[in-house]
Amino acid sequence: MSIDQAQVEQALEILGEGTRLDVLGENADLLRYAESEITAQHSERRLRVRVRISRDGRAVAGSLETLEPAAVRVLADRLTAALAELPPSPAHAAAGSAADLSAETPEVPAARSVLESDPAVRHRWFATVRDGLDPSTRLGGAIRYDVLDRVVADSTGLFRAETLTKASIQAIAKQDGRSASVKLMHRDADQIPIEEIPGRLRQALIPLPFGEAHHGTCRVLLKPQAVNSLIATYGYAALGANGYATGRSAVSGRLGEQVVSELITLVDDGTDPDGLASAFDAEGNVRRRTPLIERGVLKGVVSDRRRASLTGGVPTGHAVPDGWRFGGDPVPSHLLLAPGEAADDELLAECGSGLVVNRLDYLRVLHPKETLVTGTTRDATYWAENGKVVAWHPQLRFTFRMDEVLNAVLGIGSVRERCDQTFMESVVVPSLLIDAGPLVLP
Amino acid sequence: MRGAAETVLALLPSDVQYGDVRVVRRTHEQVLVELDGPGEVGYDDSLGLGLRVVIGGHWGFAATHRLDPRGLDAVIAQAVGQARAAGGGGHVRLGERVTTRDTWSSPMVVDPFTVPLSTKLDLLAATVKEAETAGPLVQQIEASVDFYRDEKVFANTEGALIEQTLTESGGGLMVNAGDGNDVQRRSFPQGVPRQIRGQRGDFATAGFEHVLSLGLPENAARIASEAVALLTAPQCPDEVTTLVAGSNQLAMVLHECAGHPMEADRALGTEASLAGGTYATPERRGTFRWGSPIVSAYADATIPGALGSFGYDDEGIPAQRTQLVKDGIFLGYMSGRESAAALGDEPTGASRADGWQRLPLVRMTNICLEPGDSSLAEMIAGTKRGILVDTNRGFSIDDQRMSFRFQTEVGWEIRDGKVGRLLKNCTYQGVTPQFWAGLDALGGPDEWQVHGVPSCNKGEPLQVAHVGHGTVPGRFQSVQVGR
Repeated sequence: MSIDQAQVEQALEILGEGTRLDVLGENADLLRYAESEITAQHSERRLRVRVRISRDGRAVAGSLETLEPAAVRVLADRLTAALAELPPSPAHAAAGSAADLSAETPEVPAARSVLESDPAVRHRWFATVRDGLDPSTRLGGAIRYDVLDRVVADSTGLFRAETLTKASIQAIAKQDGRSASVKLMHRDADQIPIEEIPGRLRQALIPLPFGEAHHGTCRVLLKPQAVNSLIATYGYAALGANGYATGRSAVSGRLGEQVVSELITLVDDGTDPDGLASAFDAEGNVRRRTPLIERGVLKGVVSDRRRASLTGGVPTGHAVPDGWRFGGDPVPSHLLLAPGEAADDELLAECGSGLVVNRLDYLRVLHPKETLVTGTTRDATYWAENGKVVAWHPQLRFTFRMDEVLNAVLGIGSVRERCDQTFMESVVVPSLLIDAGPLVLP
Repeated sequence: MRGAAETVLALLPSDVQYGDVRVVRRTHEQVLVELDGPGEVGYDDSLGLGLRVVIGGHWGFAATHRLDPRGLDAVIAQAVGQARAAGGGGHVRLGERVTTRDTWSSPMVVDPFTVPLSTKLDLLAATVKEAETAGPLVQQIEASVDFYRDEKVFANTEGALIEQTLTESGGGLMVNAGDGNDVQRRSFPQGVPRQIRGQRGDFATAGFEHVLSLGLPENAARIASEAVALLTAPQCPDEVTTLVAGSNQLAMVLHECAGHPMEADRALGTEASLAGGTYATPERRGTFRWGSPIVSAYADATIPGALGSFGYDDEGIPAQRTQLVKDGIFLGYMSGRESAAALGDEPTGASRADGWQRLPLVRMTNICLEPGDSSLAEMIAGTKRGILVDTNRGFSIDDQRMSFRFQTEVGWEIRDGKVGRLLKNCTYQGVTPQFWAGLDALGGPDEWQVHGVPSCNKGEPLQVAHVGHGTVPGRFQSVQVGR
């Protein structure tokens, strides 16, 4: 842990009553490659101290990159002066529930394989993948190791700390106009099966003919990376407490109602090691297992302190950091979609003639109330006939309602993959077979 | 800051073939006022150092917030260690040496950091008050201003030493209206991602005068009324029709269809893992028909006050103008030293990093359209049936920057040369060269306007760049529109 508790407490004392600190010690090491050659290697070390002071219905925020007392005093003076100029605001007067000091911080073990890594390990990973591919295959992507020290503390005595480790590899292989990708991640680098990646890429680059584009509707088999985009985007758009309460969510007012197929069971659980576990959110609320959809029925949403009243008066542990680039409302952070019983081959057989999509890219919400989104396929997209992949299909754009797609699920795979998104820490999902109808090939 | 840069260069080991160091202090102030009062006042301060080295033909980069001797020693060890770990045999080529020694500051009239907080609060409170006049269906109002100052020192082992100060100011308004069945948003002067700190509104490399020039209070009531009116407006019809795009809407289309695809690193494959590649491949330079003969586009980092303007990029290359498209034909790239060398070009001064902690990437500067000889009024008058769209709400584009779909906050039908009913949930889609081939009219020089976009994302790890777009309204034939 690179964050000194004594320094944090000293900073709280300088900043005074009503202060919350969200401190991040970020250590990122990255190896990037393109065209089968290394293109960049990074080591980034950063301390980020986010400060929020709320007093008498007024709130100010600030950030700096040190806990040195002199610098903290400068910021404290500035924030105090701003507070004096601000009129009270009803929004800040109703700040929500207080910090729960009695809840124990769940333990998330840090992996030595990431804590003690050096650049040579990442070079070995790169060489393993590159050398396992045909020489005519061009490899691009990145290998990243992160160590994140976190502290959330406030002037009421809250102090939570954890060290999160993460290793990830993205490998995109291109050969003869075809492309395939694999992305794997884990809190423990030793748990990532690097040696399997070349085989997976070779298999995905299957030398089938390039087929013509199909049009209209058909069954679509979404592989886990594609389901990742779908489920993460749906959760982000629909399953946060503030959107629910203000009527902006597609499921507002529908708790207890069927909102998607009864095959779908979805939870958010920051403590589940199948995802990328973490113990607490940016307000210091412990992350709680939150059932969201059970057999298609809406069971809950995720909350922070301001919207804790929607979740039994206790925040679920989904406050986002101040200034987060994806908004200020609580949103799911660790989604897990329950697996089914079908092997992916069985799903393909049930698909019959249809599209197989490995990746949905740039999925963007067009209309949140209708869960209407648009996005494109990327990398390996195939056409299947009679339950067998027979051709590469041209990449295409889908525009669809996510709730309709999730209501047309015919089957769920038994094997889940651990994925992430820039706006979500982890998403654990299997393949989904979608019936013909909601996904229209243009 | 300069001392830290010089110290690091002096401490580099002898096997370093090239090194450069950037010391950056970024100061940010934001003020937000919402429907029910002040929402947030914030101050951010970031100071740190980024070091790049080449050893054995391989890059190593390290960054630190610690500028004390131990921190500087550590950052050198990390950067050098990264480069040496590749084991030599690399072949980074950077082209001509960069030895410039200079100082540069962006122009401004009123230093925004000297303007009292109360003045900023008053401006925003007046804006919110005007927006409230649209009635009870207004659910949410956010008016904000943001100010940035970057103080940067760049030095390299070739002898360059450049000190720059950039001041940026921006502001915007967002209104959400809802009636229980629908929620609609209007923003001004351009699309505002909700609650994203520092990215709301229109920005310029200028002082507080830019915020005053936006006319936030003067436009607030109209914008809020449009948000309310959209609740009961008809849906945009699904049809192939004539599309007239306002200047700020065209800015985002240009950004996605020309800006990103013509960044040289995408053409070289080095952004494949996240952003993707491009249709604008090197063998297509000079021959690929990107759009109709009336369209020409360029990147220009020398436009005074534009958000993508600066004195020198983060490799010490001077700001300049680069032709990207001429008379509809794709011509060239924005590039940094390494990507330019790989393409056999001169660097165009487009290598920039998001703060001290990130590696410089090829980033667009100010991507501009050369104006035409029409006007928005003429385009509308000459359209029998079509739609007029304005203010970007969202978009999606494929990894080769070909197939796209844009959504706008607002649209109006055009019938027999006149603007008709308001339309909601307007989207349009296309494929880059076909869409731009349908361009048959562009606004003239008096409608040319620069839009400052502080939210351009790229890279792994993700970097946010501040860019500008000089655009005019344009008219496109045979465009698929719909909801």
